[in-house]
Amino acid sequence: MARLIIANRRGHQVLEWDPATDTEEVKAVIAEAERIIREAREQGCKVSRKVGDHHELYDGPFDPNVEEYQIIAPIAGG
Amino acid sequence: MWAFIRRLLGLEEPQQELSGDLELPWRRRWHQTLKRSAGPDFTRQDYRLARERAREVARVTLGEELWQQLERQGYLDVPSKRFPGVTYRLRVGLRIEVICAPGVECPWPFPYLCINPKYPLPELEFFAHLYLYVRDREDEIIRVAAPQPWNQVLGRTF
Repeated sequence: MARLIIANRRGHQVLEWDPATDTEEVKAVIAEAERIIREAREQGCKVSRKVGDHHELYDGPFDPNVEEYQIIAPIAGG
Repeated sequence: MWAFIRRLLGLEEPQQELSGDLELPWRRRWHQTLKRSAGPDFTRQDYRLARERAREVARVTLGEELWQQLERQGYLDVPSKRFPGVTYRLRVGLRIEVICAPGVECPWPFPYLCINPKYPLPELEFFAHLYLYVRDREDEIIRVAAPQPWNQVLGRTF
């Protein structure tokens, strides 16, 4: 399973999909994950992806085969 | 409950249909939310669950080695790539401490950098985010940091 972690006041919430499954339902979830990532970036969030056993910030395009993405909160001073 | 009320009042945004009850925090305004609070609709149980989930995801974000290091020593150090001899010390829920090697001048007038998330997050969750920023996007840290003379808990985390 692949997943998108959305960090929020709930701790986090998750959108999951199986990249090996080729159904309309899975395609819709993948499209939703890509849309959320795009929208979050437009609003100043960063995105990280899992590399090995940890996350790294990532500016590249969305790949539904990546094991895990995470929306990282935008930051402000003060 | 709130999702139900929003749907009842027709306030649910159509884009959120597929993602159901996912809360996308950048869509809301948080400036009226009290410091150290997740909002008036949050219950004690919500805080407890949020902190539990934050612990899980912070561990996944940092990886096992850094997580164990954090558990053991109570902070994580990140050497600066911009300022030789400068190290950022991160503690959960607190400002970043800037530590300078002997003879190295601090790049800021004060040794604590106040940086908050733009929306409320559990402390551990934001700690992992801040670690990624410091390690992978130091320029962003330098751009937004508000230097302060003393350490203090962050206002946008709980």
